[in-house]
Amino acid sequence: MSWMLLWKIVFVIGISGFALMAVWVTIAGAKDIKRLFKRIEESHEEGEA
Amino acid sequence: MNAETSQLLSQTNFTPLDWGIVVVYLLCSVAVGLVARKFVVSMTDYVSAGRAVGTALGVATLTGTELGLITVMYSAQKGFGGGFAAFHIAVAAFITTFLVGASGFIVYRLRSLEVLTIPEYYERRFGRRTRILGGIMLAFGGILNMGLFLKVGSMFIVGVSGLSESSGALPGVMTCLLILVLVYTVLGGMISVIITDYIQFVLLSFSLLVVTGIAIVKLGWENIFSTILAEMGEKGFNPLVSEGAFGTEYVIWMFFLGLVACGVWPTAIARALSADSPATVKKQYMWSSVSFLIRFLIPYFWGICAFVFLVTKAPDLHALFFPAAEGVEGMNNLYAMPVFLGRILPAGLIGLVTAGMIAAFMSTHDSYLLCWSSVITQDVVAPMMGERLSTPGRIRLTRILIVVIGIYILYWGLVYDGRDDIWDYMAVTGAIYFTGAFAVLVGGLYWKRASSTGSILALLCGFVAVLGLSPVQSLFQVEWSSATVGLSTVGCSLAAMVLGSLAFPDRPKEGTR
Repeated sequence: MSWMLLWKIVFVIGISGFALMAVWVTIAGAKDIKRLFKRIEESHEEGEA
Repeated sequence: MNAETSQLLSQTNFTPLDWGIVVVYLLCSVAVGLVARKFVVSMTDYVSAGRAVGTALGVATLTGTELGLITVMYSAQKGFGGGFAAFHIAVAAFITTFLVGASGFIVYRLRSLEVLTIPEYYERRFGRRTRILGGIMLAFGGILNMGLFLKVGSMFIVGVSGLSESSGALPGVMTCLLILVLVYTVLGGMISVIITDYIQFVLLSFSLLVVTGIAIVKLGWENIFSTILAEMGEKGFNPLVSEGAFGTEYVIWMFFLGLVACGVWPTAIARALSADSPATVKKQYMWSSVSFLIRFLIPYFWGICAFVFLVTKAPDLHALFFPAAEGVEGMNNLYAMPVFLGRILPAGLIGLVTAGMIAAFMSTHDSYLLCWSSVITQDVVAPMMGERLSTPGRIRLTRILIVVIGIYILYWGLVYDGRDDIWDYMAVTGAIYFTGAFAVLVGGLYWKRASSTGSILALLCGFVAVLGLSPVQSLFQVEWSSATVGLSTVGCSLAAMVLGSLAFPDRPKEGTR
Protein backbone atom coordinates (compact mmCIF):
# COMPACT_ATOMS: atom_id res chain seq x y z
CA MET A 1 0.00 0.00 0.00
CA SER A 2 1.33 3.43 -0.89
CA TRP A 3 1.62 6.21 1.68
CA MET A 4 -0.83 8.31 -0.35
CA LEU A 5 -3.50 5.59 -0.23
CA LEU A 6 -2.87 5.04 3.48
CA TRP A 7 -3.43 8.72 4.30
CA LYS A 8 -6.58 8.81 2.15
CA ILE A 9 -8.03 5.88 4.10
CA VAL A 10 -6.99 7.36 7.47
CA PHE A 11 -8.57 10.69 6.56
CA VAL A 12 -11.90 9.29 5.38
CA ILE A 13 -12.27 6.90 8.33
CA GLY A 14 -11.17 9.58 10.80
CA ILE A 15 -13.63 12.18 9.53
CA SER A 16 -16.52 9.69 9.44
CA GLY A 17 -15.79 8.43 12.96
CA PHE A 18 -15.56 11.98 14.28
CA ALA A 19 -18.89 12.97 12.69
CA LEU A 20 -20.65 10.07 14.38
CA MET A 21 -18.97 10.75 17.70
CA ALA A 22 -19.86 14.45 17.52
CA VAL A 23 -23.58 13.62 17.21
CA TRP A 24 -23.43 11.24 20.19
CA VAL A 25 -21.45 13.64 22.41
CA THR A 26 -23.76 16.55 21.57
CA ILE A 27 -26.86 14.64 22.69
CA ALA A 28 -25.44 12.65 25.61
CA GLY A 29 -23.28 15.57 26.80
CA ALA A 30 -26.35 17.78 27.31
CA LYS A 31 -27.86 15.10 29.54
CA ASP A 32 -24.58 14.82 31.45
CA ILE A 33 -24.63 18.57 32.16
CA LYS A 34 -28.07 18.28 33.75
CA ARG A 35 -26.85 15.38 35.88
CA LEU A 36 -23.69 17.30 36.82
CA PHE A 37 -25.61 20.22 38.29
CA LYS A 38 -28.01 17.89 40.05
CA ARG A 39 -25.20 15.93 41.68
CA ILE A 40 -23.34 19.04 42.77
CA GLU A 41 -26.48 20.51 44.31
CA GLU A 42 -27.17 17.24 46.10
CA SER A 43 -23.64 17.10 47.47
CA HIS A 44 -23.95 20.67 48.74
CA GLU A 45 -27.25 19.85 50.44
CA GLU A 46 -25.69 16.77 52.07
CA GLY A 47 -22.79 18.94 53.23
CA GLU A 48 -25.18 21.45 54.80
CA ALA A 49 -27.18 18.66 56.46
CA MET B 1 4.44 45.63 6.10
CA ASN B 2 4.12 47.49 2.78
CA ALA B 3 0.87 48.68 1.19
CA GLU B 4 0.76 45.84 -1.35
CA THR B 5 1.09 43.17 1.34
CA SER B 6 -1.57 44.84 3.49
CA GLN B 7 -3.90 44.98 0.52
CA LEU B 8 -3.37 41.26 -0.22
CA LEU B 9 -3.99 40.18 3.37
CA SER B 10 -7.10 42.32 3.75
CA GLN B 11 -8.87 40.45 0.90
CA THR B 12 -11.17 38.38 3.10
CA ASN B 13 -14.86 37.50 3.12
CA PHE B 14 -15.11 38.54 6.78
CA THR B 15 -17.96 41.09 7.16
CA PRO B 16 -19.67 43.03 9.99
CA LEU B 17 -22.18 40.16 10.21
CA ASP B 18 -19.30 37.86 11.11
CA TRP B 19 -18.09 40.28 13.80
CA GLY B 20 -21.65 40.26 15.18
CA ILE B 21 -21.68 36.46 15.41
CA VAL B 22 -18.33 36.50 17.20
CA VAL B 23 -19.42 39.15 19.72
CA VAL B 24 -22.68 37.34 20.56
CA TYR B 25 -20.75 34.15 21.20
CA LEU B 26 -18.27 35.89 23.47
CA LEU B 27 -21.05 37.49 25.53
CA CYS B 28 -22.68 34.08 25.96
CA SER B 29 -19.38 32.67 27.26
CA VAL B 30 -19.08 35.34 29.93
CA ALA B 31 -22.70 34.69 30.95
CA VAL B 32 -21.87 31.01 31.47
CA GLY B 33 -19.02 32.00 33.79
CA LEU B 34 -21.40 34.13 35.84
CA VAL B 35 -24.09 31.43 36.07
CA ALA B 36 -21.59 28.70 37.01
CA ARG B 37 -20.18 30.80 39.84
CA LYS B 38 -23.05 29.99 42.21
CA PHE B 39 -22.20 26.27 42.08
CA VAL B 40 -18.65 26.75 43.39
CA VAL B 41 -18.52 26.08 47.11
CA SER B 42 -15.49 23.88 47.71
CA MET B 43 -12.01 23.56 46.17
CA THR B 44 -13.15 20.22 44.69
CA ASP B 45 -16.00 22.07 42.90
CA TYR B 46 -13.58 24.70 41.67
CA VAL B 47 -10.83 22.37 40.46
CA SER B 48 -12.61 19.09 39.64
CA ALA B 49 -16.27 20.05 39.13
CA GLY B 50 -17.24 18.02 42.17
CA ARG B 51 -15.92 14.84 40.49
CA ALA B 52 -19.32 14.40 38.80
CA VAL B 53 -18.55 14.42 35.05
CA GLY B 54 -20.10 11.64 32.91
CA THR B 55 -18.59 9.92 29.85
CA ALA B 56 -20.02 12.07 27.04
CA LEU B 57 -19.37 15.33 28.85
CA GLY B 58 -15.90 14.05 29.68
CA VAL B 59 -15.22 13.39 26.00
CA ALA B 60 -16.51 16.87 25.09
CA THR B 61 -14.41 18.61 27.69
CA LEU B 62 -11.27 16.59 26.99
CA THR B 63 -11.67 17.42 23.31
CA GLY B 64 -12.52 21.02 24.10
CA THR B 65 -9.35 21.41 26.11
CA GLU B 66 -6.98 19.57 23.82
CA LEU B 67 -8.41 20.87 20.55
CA GLY B 68 -7.50 24.49 21.06
CA LEU B 69 -6.93 27.19 18.50
CA ILE B 70 -3.22 26.83 19.23
CA THR B 71 -3.53 23.16 18.15
CA VAL B 72 -5.29 24.17 14.95
CA MET B 73 -2.62 26.76 14.19
CA TYR B 74 0.52 24.72 14.90
CA SER B 75 -0.96 21.69 13.17
CA ALA B 76 -1.84 23.72 10.09
CA GLN B 77 1.74 24.99 10.12
CA LYS B 78 3.02 21.38 10.16
CA GLY B 79 0.68 20.38 7.33
CA PHE B 80 1.66 23.46 5.35
CA GLY B 81 5.36 22.61 5.64
CA GLY B 82 5.33 18.82 5.81
CA GLY B 83 2.33 17.79 3.68
CA PHE B 84 0.49 14.54 4.34
CA ALA B 85 3.55 13.09 6.07
CA ALA B 86 2.44 15.13 9.12
CA PHE B 87 -0.55 12.77 9.44
CA HIS B 88 1.68 10.31 11.30
CA ILE B 89 1.46 12.59 14.38
CA ALA B 90 -2.33 12.26 14.36
CA VAL B 91 -2.15 8.50 13.99
CA ALA B 92 0.37 8.26 16.84
CA ALA B 93 -1.97 10.33 19.07
CA PHE B 94 -4.94 8.10 18.19
CA ILE B 95 -3.13 4.81 18.85
CA THR B 96 -1.58 5.88 22.14
CA THR B 97 -4.79 7.45 23.52
CA PHE B 98 -6.84 4.38 22.62
CA LEU B 99 -4.28 2.08 24.24
CA VAL B 100 -4.19 4.22 27.40
CA GLY B 101 -8.00 4.01 27.54
CA ALA B 102 -8.12 0.27 26.87
CA SER B 103 -5.41 -0.55 29.40
CA GLY B 104 -6.06 2.24 31.92
CA PHE B 105 -2.29 2.85 31.94
CA ILE B 106 -1.55 5.51 34.59
CA VAL B 107 -5.00 7.20 34.42
CA TYR B 108 -7.06 4.38 35.95
CA ARG B 109 -4.84 4.04 39.02
CA LEU B 110 -4.61 7.80 39.49
CA ARG B 111 -8.40 8.21 39.42
CA SER B 112 -8.79 5.26 41.81
CA LEU B 113 -6.56 7.07 44.31
CA GLU B 114 -8.92 10.11 44.24
CA VAL B 115 -6.17 12.70 44.11
CA LEU B 116 -6.90 16.22 42.80
CA THR B 117 -3.60 16.72 40.98
CA ILE B 118 -0.55 14.70 39.93
CA PRO B 119 1.75 16.33 42.53
CA GLU B 120 -0.75 15.32 45.21
CA TYR B 121 -0.06 11.75 44.14
CA TYR B 122 3.67 12.46 44.39
CA GLU B 123 3.22 13.34 48.05
CA ARG B 124 1.26 10.22 48.83
CA ARG B 125 3.84 8.00 47.19
CA PHE B 126 7.13 9.83 47.67
CA GLY B 127 6.64 12.55 50.27
CA ARG B 128 6.14 16.29 50.47
CA ARG B 129 9.40 17.48 48.87
CA THR B 130 8.63 15.48 45.70
CA ARG B 131 5.21 17.09 45.61
CA ILE B 132 6.61 20.60 45.91
CA LEU B 133 9.37 20.02 43.34
CA GLY B 134 6.88 18.27 41.04
CA GLY B 135 4.50 21.22 41.36
CA ILE B 136 7.27 23.69 40.56
CA MET B 137 8.45 21.68 37.50
CA LEU B 138 4.88 21.28 36.33
CA ALA B 139 4.04 24.95 36.67
CA PHE B 140 7.37 26.06 35.13
CA GLY B 141 7.15 23.78 32.08
CA GLY B 142 3.42 24.30 31.68
CA ILE B 143 3.43 28.07 31.90
CA LEU B 144 6.38 28.29 29.51
CA ASN B 145 4.50 25.88 27.24
CA MET B 146 1.43 28.11 27.02
CA GLY B 147 3.54 31.23 26.54
CA LEU B 148 2.77 31.47 22.83
CA PHE B 149 -0.89 30.43 22.95
CA LEU B 150 -2.22 33.95 23.13
CA LYS B 151 -0.07 35.30 20.32
CA VAL B 152 -0.68 32.42 17.93
CA GLY B 153 -4.42 32.37 18.64
CA SER B 154 -4.62 36.08 18.00
CA MET B 155 -2.73 35.60 14.73
CA PHE B 156 -5.62 33.43 13.53
CA ILE B 157 -8.20 36.12 14.23
CA VAL B 158 -6.04 38.82 12.71
CA GLY B 159 -5.35 36.69 9.61
CA VAL B 160 -8.89 35.45 8.98
CA SER B 161 -10.54 38.83 9.53
CA GLY B 162 -8.08 40.79 7.40
CA LEU B 163 -6.96 42.94 10.35
CA SER B 164 -3.31 42.27 9.56
CA GLU B 165 -3.11 45.48 7.55
CA SER B 166 -2.95 47.30 10.87
CA SER B 167 0.31 46.84 12.76
CA GLY B 168 -1.37 47.39 16.14
CA ALA B 169 -4.03 44.74 15.53
CA LEU B 170 -2.15 41.77 17.00
CA PRO B 171 -1.40 43.18 20.48
CA GLY B 172 -4.91 44.67 20.55
CA VAL B 173 -6.59 41.33 19.83
CA MET B 174 -4.26 39.60 22.33
CA THR B 175 -5.26 42.00 25.10
CA CYS B 176 -9.02 41.74 24.41
CA LEU B 177 -9.00 37.94 24.31
CA LEU B 178 -6.93 37.72 27.46
CA ILE B 179 -9.27 39.97 29.44
CA LEU B 180 -12.27 37.93 28.30
CA VAL B 181 -10.81 34.55 29.19
CA LEU B 182 -9.55 35.79 32.56
CA VAL B 183 -12.97 37.09 33.54
CA TYR B 184 -14.86 33.86 33.24
CA THR B 185 -12.07 31.52 34.34
CA VAL B 186 -11.65 33.52 37.53
CA LEU B 187 -15.40 33.55 38.12
CA GLY B 188 -16.41 29.98 37.49
CA GLY B 189 -13.49 27.56 37.87
CA MET B 190 -13.78 24.03 36.51
CA ILE B 191 -17.59 24.01 36.32
CA SER B 192 -17.72 26.92 33.88
CA VAL B 193 -14.69 25.45 32.07
CA ILE B 194 -16.56 22.19 31.50
CA ILE B 195 -19.74 23.88 30.29
CA THR B 196 -17.87 26.12 27.84
CA ASP B 197 -15.85 23.11 26.69
CA TYR B 198 -19.11 21.41 25.81
CA ILE B 199 -20.41 24.43 23.88
CA GLN B 200 -17.09 24.65 22.13
CA PHE B 201 -17.20 20.98 21.21
CA VAL B 202 -20.57 21.37 19.50
CA LEU B 203 -19.62 24.56 17.66
CA LEU B 204 -16.14 23.42 16.70
CA SER B 205 -17.20 19.96 15.51
CA PHE B 206 -19.65 21.57 13.13
CA SER B 207 -17.04 24.08 11.95
CA LEU B 208 -14.32 21.49 11.40
CA LEU B 209 -16.50 19.23 9.30
CA VAL B 210 -18.12 21.98 7.21
CA VAL B 211 -14.85 23.82 6.47
CA THR B 212 -13.15 20.59 5.49
CA GLY B 213 -15.98 19.82 3.08
CA ILE B 214 -15.80 23.30 1.53
CA ALA B 215 -12.01 23.07 1.15
CA ILE B 216 -12.34 19.75 -0.70
CA VAL B 217 -15.07 21.11 -2.98
CA LYS B 218 -13.10 24.29 -3.78
CA LEU B 219 -9.74 22.61 -4.42
CA GLY B 220 -10.72 19.13 -5.64
CA TRP B 221 -9.94 15.91 -3.74
CA GLU B 222 -7.49 14.48 -6.27
CA ASN B 223 -5.96 17.88 -7.00
CA ILE B 224 -4.94 18.26 -3.35
CA PHE B 225 -2.99 15.00 -3.41
CA SER B 226 -1.48 15.49 -6.87
CA THR B 227 -0.31 19.03 -6.04
CA ILE B 228 1.47 17.84 -2.88
CA LEU B 229 3.07 15.02 -4.89
CA ALA B 230 4.22 17.46 -7.56
CA GLU B 231 5.52 20.08 -5.12
CA MET B 232 6.94 17.94 -2.29
CA GLY B 233 7.44 14.50 -3.86
CA GLU B 234 7.80 11.39 -1.67
CA LYS B 235 8.65 13.41 1.44
CA GLY B 236 5.18 14.99 1.32
CA PHE B 237 3.70 11.58 2.20
CA ASN B 238 6.37 9.38 3.81
CA PRO B 239 7.29 10.60 7.33
CA LEU B 240 10.28 8.25 7.50
CA VAL B 241 12.16 9.95 4.65
CA SER B 242 15.17 11.49 6.36
CA GLU B 243 15.48 14.47 3.99
CA GLY B 244 11.84 15.43 4.67
CA ALA B 245 10.47 17.45 7.58
CA PHE B 246 10.38 14.43 9.93
CA GLY B 247 12.38 11.14 9.88
CA THR B 248 12.37 7.98 12.03
CA GLU B 249 13.62 9.66 15.22
CA TYR B 250 10.88 12.29 14.95
CA VAL B 251 8.20 9.60 14.47
CA ILE B 252 9.35 7.79 17.65
CA TRP B 253 9.28 11.12 19.52
CA MET B 254 5.71 11.70 18.29
CA PHE B 255 4.55 8.33 19.63
CA PHE B 256 6.02 9.20 23.02
CA LEU B 257 4.36 12.63 22.85
CA GLY B 258 1.05 10.95 22.04
CA LEU B 259 1.41 8.84 25.17
CA VAL B 260 2.28 11.66 27.55
CA ALA B 261 -0.25 14.06 25.99
CA CYS B 262 -3.10 11.86 27.19
CA GLY B 263 -1.51 9.92 30.04
CA VAL B 264 0.66 12.48 31.84
CA TRP B 265 -0.22 15.97 30.61
CA PRO B 266 -2.03 17.61 33.55
CA THR B 267 -4.92 19.19 31.63
CA ALA B 268 -5.81 15.77 30.22
CA ILE B 269 -5.28 14.13 33.61
CA ALA B 270 -7.49 16.80 35.20
CA ARG B 271 -10.35 15.46 33.08
CA ALA B 272 -9.61 11.90 34.18
CA LEU B 273 -9.62 13.02 37.81
CA SER B 274 -12.95 14.82 37.30
CA ALA B 275 -14.67 11.65 36.02
CA ASP B 276 -17.38 10.10 38.17
CA SER B 277 -15.58 6.72 38.37
CA PRO B 278 -12.34 4.97 37.27
CA ALA B 279 -14.35 2.92 34.76
CA THR B 280 -15.64 6.15 33.18
CA VAL B 281 -12.04 7.28 32.70
CA LYS B 282 -11.28 4.27 30.51
CA LYS B 283 -14.38 4.76 28.36
CA GLN B 284 -13.69 8.49 28.13
CA TYR B 285 -10.17 7.87 26.82
CA MET B 286 -11.18 5.25 24.27
CA TRP B 287 -13.84 7.59 22.83
CA SER B 288 -11.50 10.57 23.01
CA SER B 289 -8.89 8.77 20.91
CA VAL B 290 -11.01 9.76 17.89
CA SER B 291 -10.83 13.39 19.02
CA PHE B 292 -7.08 13.12 19.54
CA LEU B 293 -6.81 11.89 15.94
CA ILE B 294 -9.06 14.60 14.54
CA ARG B 295 -7.55 17.47 16.50
CA PHE B 296 -4.41 16.99 14.43
CA LEU B 297 -5.74 15.44 11.24
CA ILE B 298 -8.17 18.19 10.19
CA PRO B 299 -5.84 21.14 10.91
CA TYR B 300 -3.03 19.35 9.03
CA PHE B 301 -5.43 18.99 6.15
CA TRP B 302 -6.31 22.69 6.32
CA GLY B 303 -2.60 23.55 6.24
CA ILE B 304 -2.14 21.26 3.25
CA CYS B 305 -5.13 22.87 1.54
CA ALA B 306 -3.71 26.34 2.25
CA PHE B 307 -0.48 25.25 0.53
CA VAL B 308 -2.39 23.84 -2.45
CA PHE B 309 -4.50 27.02 -2.61
CA LEU B 310 -1.37 29.19 -2.81
CA VAL B 311 0.17 27.00 -5.50
CA THR B 312 -2.89 26.52 -7.70
CA LYS B 313 -5.27 29.43 -7.04
CA ALA B 314 -3.46 32.40 -5.50
CA PRO B 315 -0.08 33.15 -7.10
CA ASP B 316 -0.11 36.60 -5.44
CA LEU B 317 -0.20 35.01 -2.00
CA HIS B 318 2.29 32.34 -3.05
CA ALA B 319 4.79 35.06 -3.85
CA LEU B 320 4.19 36.56 -0.43
CA PHE B 321 4.88 33.33 1.47
CA PHE B 322 7.58 32.01 -0.91
CA PRO B 323 9.35 35.08 -2.36
CA ALA B 324 11.46 34.27 -5.40
CA ALA B 325 14.09 36.91 -4.68
CA GLU B 326 17.04 35.74 -2.57
CA GLY B 327 17.43 37.31 0.85
CA VAL B 328 13.77 38.29 1.06
CA GLU B 329 12.04 36.72 4.03
CA GLY B 330 8.63 35.15 3.36
CA MET B 331 5.49 35.89 5.35
CA ASN B 332 5.17 33.94 8.64
CA ASN B 333 3.58 30.66 7.50
CA LEU B 334 1.29 30.63 10.56
CA TYR B 335 -0.82 33.16 8.66
CA ALA B 336 -1.29 30.84 5.63
CA MET B 337 -4.24 28.82 6.96
CA PRO B 338 -6.32 31.74 8.34
CA VAL B 339 -5.73 33.78 5.19
CA PHE B 340 -6.80 30.74 3.14
CA LEU B 341 -10.02 30.38 5.19
CA GLY B 342 -10.70 34.10 4.83
CA ARG B 343 -10.60 33.67 1.06
CA ILE B 344 -12.70 30.49 0.62
CA LEU B 345 -15.44 30.69 3.27
CA PRO B 346 -18.60 32.75 2.64
CA ALA B 347 -19.69 35.60 4.91
CA GLY B 348 -21.74 34.33 7.86
CA LEU B 349 -20.11 30.93 7.89
CA ILE B 350 -16.73 32.53 8.44
CA GLY B 351 -18.15 34.25 11.54
CA LEU B 352 -19.41 30.92 12.89
CA VAL B 353 -16.05 29.28 12.21
CA THR B 354 -14.20 32.15 13.88
CA ALA B 355 -16.54 31.94 16.88
CA GLY B 356 -15.77 28.20 16.99
CA MET B 357 -12.06 28.94 16.89
CA ILE B 358 -12.34 31.58 19.60
CA ALA B 359 -14.30 29.03 21.60
CA ALA B 360 -11.41 26.63 21.08
CA PHE B 361 -8.98 29.34 22.11
CA MET B 362 -10.88 30.18 25.27
CA SER B 363 -11.57 26.63 26.39
CA THR B 364 -7.89 25.79 26.14
CA HIS B 365 -6.84 28.94 27.95
CA ASP B 366 -9.31 28.56 30.79
CA SER B 367 -8.29 24.94 31.38
CA TYR B 368 -4.58 25.69 31.27
CA LEU B 369 -4.84 28.79 33.43
CA LEU B 370 -6.90 26.90 35.98
CA CYS B 371 -4.57 23.93 35.86
CA TRP B 372 -1.29 25.78 36.43
CA SER B 373 -2.70 28.16 39.02
CA SER B 374 -4.33 25.37 41.03
CA VAL B 375 -1.08 23.37 40.90
CA ILE B 376 0.84 26.31 42.38
CA THR B 377 -1.83 26.77 45.06
CA GLN B 378 -2.44 23.13 45.94
CA ASP B 379 0.98 21.65 45.37
CA VAL B 380 3.51 24.37 46.09
CA VAL B 381 2.02 27.02 48.39
CA ALA B 382 -0.42 24.91 50.44
CA PRO B 383 2.08 22.13 51.33
CA MET B 384 4.53 24.81 52.45
CA MET B 385 1.91 26.53 54.64
CA GLY B 386 0.37 23.36 56.08
CA GLU B 387 -3.21 23.81 57.29
CA ARG B 388 -2.96 27.60 57.50
CA LEU B 389 -4.38 28.12 53.99
CA SER B 390 -8.19 27.88 54.22
CA THR B 391 -10.49 26.85 51.34
CA PRO B 392 -11.60 30.45 50.59
CA GLY B 393 -7.92 31.44 50.78
CA ARG B 394 -6.98 28.75 48.27
CA ILE B 395 -9.70 29.79 45.81
CA ARG B 396 -8.65 33.45 46.18
CA LEU B 397 -4.97 32.62 45.62
CA THR B 398 -5.83 30.47 42.58
CA ARG B 399 -7.79 33.37 41.09
CA ILE B 400 -4.92 35.81 41.67
CA LEU B 401 -2.49 33.38 40.03
CA ILE B 402 -4.78 33.03 36.99
CA VAL B 403 -4.47 36.78 36.44
CA VAL B 404 -0.69 36.77 37.00
CA ILE B 405 -0.16 33.92 34.51
CA GLY B 406 -2.43 35.73 32.03
CA ILE B 407 -0.27 38.83 32.22
CA TYR B 408 2.84 36.69 31.71
CA ILE B 409 1.52 35.06 28.51
CA LEU B 410 0.69 38.49 27.12
CA TYR B 411 4.27 39.61 27.84
CA TRP B 412 5.89 36.38 26.56
CA GLY B 413 3.85 36.42 23.34
CA LEU B 414 5.10 39.91 22.61
CA VAL B 415 8.81 39.37 23.41
CA TYR B 416 9.67 35.72 22.49
CA ASP B 417 11.43 35.54 19.16
CA GLY B 418 12.40 31.86 18.70
CA ARG B 419 12.72 30.27 15.24
CA ASP B 420 11.11 26.96 16.25
CA ASP B 421 7.94 25.61 14.67
CA ILE B 422 5.23 26.21 17.30
CA TRP B 423 4.62 22.47 17.71
CA ASP B 424 8.30 21.80 18.38
CA TYR B 425 8.46 24.72 20.82
CA MET B 426 5.54 23.24 22.71
CA ALA B 427 6.97 19.73 22.69
CA VAL B 428 10.26 20.96 24.13
CA THR B 429 8.77 23.21 26.83
CA GLY B 430 6.28 20.51 27.77
CA ALA B 431 9.14 18.02 28.04
CA ILE B 432 10.58 20.01 30.96
CA TYR B 433 7.68 18.64 32.97
CA PHE B 434 6.44 15.47 31.30
CA THR B 435 9.73 13.61 30.86
CA GLY B 436 10.33 13.59 34.62
CA ALA B 437 6.64 13.14 35.42
CA PHE B 438 6.43 10.09 33.15
CA ALA B 439 9.31 8.41 34.95
CA VAL B 440 7.93 9.31 38.39
CA LEU B 441 4.35 8.24 37.64
CA VAL B 442 5.29 4.97 35.98
CA GLY B 443 7.85 4.22 38.67
CA GLY B 444 5.49 5.19 41.49
CA LEU B 445 2.44 3.35 40.18
CA TYR B 446 4.08 0.21 38.84
CA TRP B 447 7.44 -0.31 40.64
CA LYS B 448 7.55 -1.00 44.37
CA ARG B 449 11.23 -0.10 44.70
CA ALA B 450 10.84 3.41 43.27
CA SER B 451 12.16 5.85 45.89
CA SER B 452 11.74 9.53 46.70
CA THR B 453 15.39 10.27 45.80
CA GLY B 454 14.88 8.59 42.43
CA SER B 455 11.76 10.69 41.87
CA ILE B 456 13.56 13.95 42.73
CA LEU B 457 16.43 13.14 40.34
CA ALA B 458 14.02 12.15 37.55
CA LEU B 459 12.07 15.40 37.90
CA LEU B 460 15.25 17.49 37.85
CA CYS B 461 16.38 15.77 34.63
CA GLY B 462 13.47 17.53 32.91
CA PHE B 463 15.54 20.72 32.81
CA VAL B 464 17.72 19.09 30.12
CA ALA B 465 14.82 19.73 27.72
CA VAL B 466 15.43 23.50 27.66
CA LEU B 467 18.38 22.68 25.37
CA GLY B 468 15.78 22.12 22.66
CA LEU B 469 14.77 25.80 22.53
CA SER B 470 16.34 27.77 19.71
CA PRO B 471 17.43 30.78 21.82
CA VAL B 472 19.20 28.40 24.25
CA GLN B 473 20.84 26.54 21.34
CA SER B 474 22.01 29.87 19.92
CA LEU B 475 23.50 30.72 23.30
CA PHE B 476 25.51 27.47 23.41
CA GLN B 477 26.07 27.48 19.62
CA VAL B 478 24.69 23.98 19.10
CA GLU B 479 22.00 22.66 16.78
CA TRP B 480 19.99 19.66 17.95
CA SER B 481 16.53 18.65 16.78
CA SER B 482 13.62 18.75 19.24
CA ALA B 483 13.29 14.97 18.84
CA THR B 484 16.92 14.36 19.81
CA VAL B 485 16.68 16.58 22.87
CA GLY B 486 13.28 15.20 23.87
CA LEU B 487 14.18 11.52 23.60
CA SER B 488 17.51 12.13 25.37
CA THR B 489 15.67 13.82 28.24
CA VAL B 490 13.26 10.88 28.51
CA GLY B 491 16.24 8.51 28.69
CA CYS B 492 17.92 10.66 31.37
CA SER B 493 14.78 10.81 33.52
CA LEU B 494 14.11 7.08 33.36
CA ALA B 495 17.75 6.29 34.14
CA ALA B 496 17.73 8.76 37.06
CA MET B 497 14.55 7.18 38.44
CA VAL B 498 15.95 3.64 38.28
CA LEU B 499 19.50 4.37 39.40
CA GLY B 500 18.43 6.86 42.09
CA SER B 501 15.91 4.39 43.51
CA LEU B 502 18.38 1.52 43.56
CA ALA B 503 21.17 3.61 45.07
CA PHE B 504 19.00 5.49 47.60
CA PRO B 505 15.99 3.32 48.55
CA ASP B 506 13.35 4.70 50.91
CA ARG B 507 13.30 3.44 54.46
CA PRO B 508 10.32 1.03 54.88
CA LYS B 509 8.36 3.34 57.23
CA GLU B 510 8.39 6.12 54.60
CA GLY B 511 6.44 4.00 52.09
CA THR B 512 2.92 5.39 51.98
CA ARG B 513 1.62 3.40 49.07
